[in-house]
This record gives sequence, structure tokens and C-alpha cells, in this order.
Amino acid sequence: MMECKDVLANLSNYVDGEVSAELRMALEEHVAKCRRCHVVFDTTEKALKIILDVEPFEVPLAVSARLYTRLEKILSDA
Amino acid sequence: MNQDQATQSGPPDDLALIDRVLAGDARSFEPLVRRYERRVFRVTLAVLGNVEDAEDAMQDAFIKAFRHLSQFRREARFTTWLTRIAVNEALQKRQARKGMVSLDDSRGVEGQSEERFMPRRFESWRADPEKLYGKQELRRLIEAAIQSLPAIYREVLILRDVEEMSAEEAAEAIGITVSALKSRLLRARLMVREALAASLEQPPTLGKKMLHAAGDMGTALAMRLMRAAGK
Repeated sequence: MMECKDVLANLSNYVDGEVSAELRMALEEHVAKCRRCHVVFDTTEKALKIILDVEPFEVPLAVSARLYTRLEKILSDA
Repeated sequence: MNQDQATQSGPPDDLALIDRVLAGDARSFEPLVRRYERRVFRVTLAVLGNVEDAEDAMQDAFIKAFRHLSQFRREARFTTWLTRIAVNEALQKRQARKGMVSLDDSRGVEGQSEERFMPRRFESWRADPEKLYGKQELRRLIEAAIQSLPAIYREVLILRDVEEMSAEEAAEAIGITVSALKSRLLRARLMVREALAASLEQPPTLGKKMLHAAGDMGTALAMRLMRAAGK
């Protein structure tokens, strides 16, 4: 079976669906039996899902307003 | 406009708007700004790490794009071109702010040391963190965690996992190889997970803690622990 450090090295590609079928099977076999790797895989996927769900770093309203104010001058002078 | 052009250059609307601007209708630039405002903001924030600088770079990026619109070549997508301008503005600002290039920022360094990032937290997370924190607070937590990453990891995480750019797009935008991007992204993801873990873990019961420690340490020691705890 694979070692934890090698399994972890493939975490990111696995999450992106970019591992071969063979490697995926080996990773999943390890993760099914290794509690720590299971948690790291599971919580990484959760983290990425939450990051998308909360929609971080929207443009603040004031920032947007100032952008259009500045643009207005430039576009009307053009 | 034929289908090939549309799929190659993004939504047909971008080109139509660009054509109008180039024909003299400057105000047609505004809907383009609205469409890509968030993308440009996130990209400049990814590189600069604070809202104030990102705001300046964002304004400069759009103005530069407007002034150089005739130089946009239609083989690429407008969003790719605009993103490149935004990254360059942000990098220039970062350079000017610091006065010298630190190892952290260096475009030449493909990643930090070869040391792997070792996770340290191994508890499962709550099923529904939004119930505990509410969406606003959760968003703040996420933003703080991402901002806490060193610059080269923050960049790739925002481009890939917030802005959802492809690996190729993201690598091209910041001027590194796809392979270097993937290597940084692994680390960035592990780091952000670690940064969030404290806030998002299920509070473990004592029994569970012991069980986990036992499983990790081996049966013999586990039995000693359990006897000591009177179980």
C-alpha cells in the first residue's frame, strides 16, 4: 500500500480529478484504511466547497463606486 | 460572427462591445467593466494581499485596458488579456511598494523549499458550519484564512479555488509553469485547510480523542491509556 506522504502528495490532483484510474484506486484504498489521510482528504474537499459557497472577496460597494466614478471621467473625455 | 470566433474569444458580447468602443463609443466599455470587475478585483487582491492596493491596481488595470483596447488580439479571449494586464499592474505596484524583490515574491522561484507541508490537525469537521457561524461570519473566516497564506500560495488559491480559473489560465496569468502551479496549489490547499481547521472542527469528546490517539499509536498503548482512564 502507498505511504501517507505519497498519498498526500497526490491530494490536490485527486481533488481536481486529474489522476489516472489506477492511481485513484490506490489512493482510495489507502484513504479507506488510514484515518488521518481520510480526514485530510475529506476536510480539504470540504474546505474548497465552503470557499466556493461563501463567495469570498466580492468587490466592496464603495470600491466599485469609486471605480465607476473614475472611469466616468475617462470615458466622457475619450 | 461565426461559431469558431465566438468559442475562441468568449461570449460574442465582449467582441461586440469592443468593436463599439473602437468605433468611438467609449461608454460601451462600461458593461465590459461590470462583467469583469470581480475577476480583476480578485486577481489584484490575490497578488497584493490588501483591498486598498487592489483597488488602485484594479482602476489602473481597467484604464490601461481601455487605452490599449486596439492592441487586443482576437485570437485570445478578452478575459485572458484583461487578467494579464491586471496581474502586471498588481505586480508593478507590489514591486514599487517593496523597492526590492524578496524571495517570497520572486517570479523566478518556482516554489518554496522542497519540504512538504505536514498537516497537523486530524479531527473531522462539523457537517454544517453555516449553522454555527452564519454566512457573513463564515465568509470572514474564509477570507482571513486565505489572506493568512504567504503571497505565492494565496495567489494560486484565489485564482484556482475562488475565481475558478483553469490550471493553464492561472499559470499563464502569473507567469509560472502548470507544474509549478500544481505544486504550489497542493501546499496552498493544505495550508488553508489547516488555517480553517481550528474553527471548523467538530469538538471531539474525550473518549473520541483517546480512541483516535489509540488508533494512531497502536493497540498496546491504547489499552494502557484506557485502563488509566478507568474505561
